[in-house]
Amino acid sequence: MLFNSYAFIFGFLPLTLAGFWVLGHRRRDWALLWLTAASLVFYAWWRPINVLLIAPSILINYALSLALRRTGEDSPALARALLIGGIVFNLCFLGYFKYLTFLQGTANDLFDAGFTLTHLILPLGISFITFQKIAFLVDVHAGRVKEFTFRNYALFVLFFPQLVAGPIVHYREMMPQFAVAPCRFSAENAAIGVSLFFMGLFKKLVLADPLSRLVAPLYAQAAAGTPLTLTDAWIAALGFTLQIYFDFSGYSDMALGLARFFGIKLPVNFNSPLKSSSIIDFWLRWHVSLTRFLTAYLYNPLTLNLTRRRVAQGKPLFGGRNTTLSAFVWLLAMPTLLTMLISGIWHGAGYAYILWGLLHGLLLVVNHGWRVLRPRIFLDAKSYNRAMKPVGFVLTFLSVVFAMAMFRAPTAGSAVTIWQGMIGMFGATLPEAILNRIGPAGPWLTALGFTPAWTSGSFLMEATLRIAALLAIALCLPNTLEMLARFEPAIGVKPAKQPERLVRLLTWEPTSAWALTLAVVTLAGVLSLGELSEFLYWQF
Amino acid sequence: MTQDDILATLTQTLRDLLGDDEIVLAMDTLREDVPNWDSFNYINFIVATEAEFGIKFRIADVESFPDVGAVVRAIERLRAR
Repeated sequence: MLFNSYAFIFGFLPLTLAGFWVLGHRRRDWALLWLTAASLVFYAWWRPINVLLIAPSILINYALSLALRRTGEDSPALARALLIGGIVFNLCFLGYFKYLTFLQGTANDLFDAGFTLTHLILPLGISFITFQKIAFLVDVHAGRVKEFTFRNYALFVLFFPQLVAGPIVHYREMMPQFAVAPCRFSAENAAIGVSLFFMGLFKKLVLADPLSRLVAPLYAQAAAGTPLTLTDAWIAALGFTLQIYFDFSGYSDMALGLARFFGIKLPVNFNSPLKSSSIIDFWLRWHVSLTRFLTAYLYNPLTLNLTRRRVAQGKPLFGGRNTTLSAFVWLLAMPTLLTMLISGIWHGAGYAYILWGLLHGLLLVVNHGWRVLRPRIFLDAKSYNRAMKPVGFVLTFLSVVFAMAMFRAPTAGSAVTIWQGMIGMFGATLPEAILNRIGPAGPWLTALGFTPAWTSGSFLMEATLRIAALLAIALCLPNTLEMLARFEPAIGVKPAKQPERLVRLLTWEPTSAWALTLAVVTLAGVLSLGELSEFLYWQF
Repeated sequence: MTQDDILATLTQTLRDLLGDDEIVLAMDTLREDVPNWDSFNYINFIVATEAEFGIKFRIADVESFPDVGAVVRAIERLRAR
């Protein structure tokens, strides 16, 4: 069931909440059972058969966790075997549905293997659920999670606000909240929930979706092998960057808001990533819960092992001024590239996702390399940071936009076509009607190499206006976490000690002005309902 | 070896690693409290400490040491085995 559907907003959500609150007045555990059952209905709505896939996987994972807890410290070898078995089981489960067709296709391409492609329908949210289950097994093995029951485990896995596309949560940050949640109506939680949910709906339907209509034909054109002119290529790349930005930002807000209705706070997942001044910073703001997962469960164990190995061999380590090239390559570049490659593969089966992951890995390596080199070249860190922050912002922004074309393009080749267009290899045109109406800028642009095209100017006008408006929102306005900071909209969010003027001005308050604004936002969102438009992150 | 002895050894390890003789670690020191003690130097510090005491931390513990005191207690526990 989509968050942005009539059935969800006017049927499922009110019913689930009413049941939860009514039962919560009697017994809390009934309310939580109701919530688990409702989440299962939510999951089954699209294809009921999905339940037959997720249920056995939950049961097997739960059994493994019980076995892990029992073995515990008595028999480390057995515990390790159980953990590895569990991880392999979950990865195979994911791999079968997500990558089988891709692997068959690749084998056919490379070796003429002649496999008939099996077309499987991906169970909803399987990538997110798989990571969450793996994290749980690791936590039980590490002794970070000791107490758990089947009811709690099922609620943890199925809790519908974060079931399909995250945030990827930890058991130890969710269950203590459920353990003390009053399960009753609270005006504050309802107000925050409604605000976050409908601001999210607005971002998704009013801001993100219209861009999809603008850029889809451009990517189709690139896939068909037709070159894109300068402006079209930039509209494709910028337009998609902003589309996925507001799509995912909207989804994340809606997830936070939905959880809040039940008195639950989710972790931060999206924090104005386009304001980043470095790629490292970008990944601490975009899909935060994924970065957190990959860092804790993949990158850190990997570097720890590699560092131990180098110490045993007596080789120099990574860090500070004395970093050697080999330490940089083995202790930073390798693990970073591998982690981002896996991130790329996780997003989808296809060469474009793999290349996108590697590209971001490479950007991170360059960023870290510069952090090592910079102090040797620029001695005064303070003045360097002041002067270079804007440069860092521009470089980060351009890198993200270029990489997004790879993320969206149906094939890696068509992404390259778009990149070629973006650097002007296929020429630059402007509709003649526009070129003639922009005064002295017209001849100036002609001198730069723009040629008139006999097409309508309305597409270019609409695209430019939309992109400019959305960029202004993404770069200048405070985000929902800042607006609602006083009420801790996500785990650990606190108001800034000295908030900027705009943040103070746009701080959420229970006033009639805010009520009116939110009513308009809600109305605009609800009136745009209807067309079936999935969240981009639901396909992963 | 007392907790103070362990703390003194850890302080020396981190001073050598970061080239900063002003560092003094206490039980409640956080990573943020020490300048330049980033995530990379944290891993290096952990591995150097393992070599110093001839122990091996569990990866999960390394992830979740809240402060220096937790490292000291983990070293005590591992040495007692």
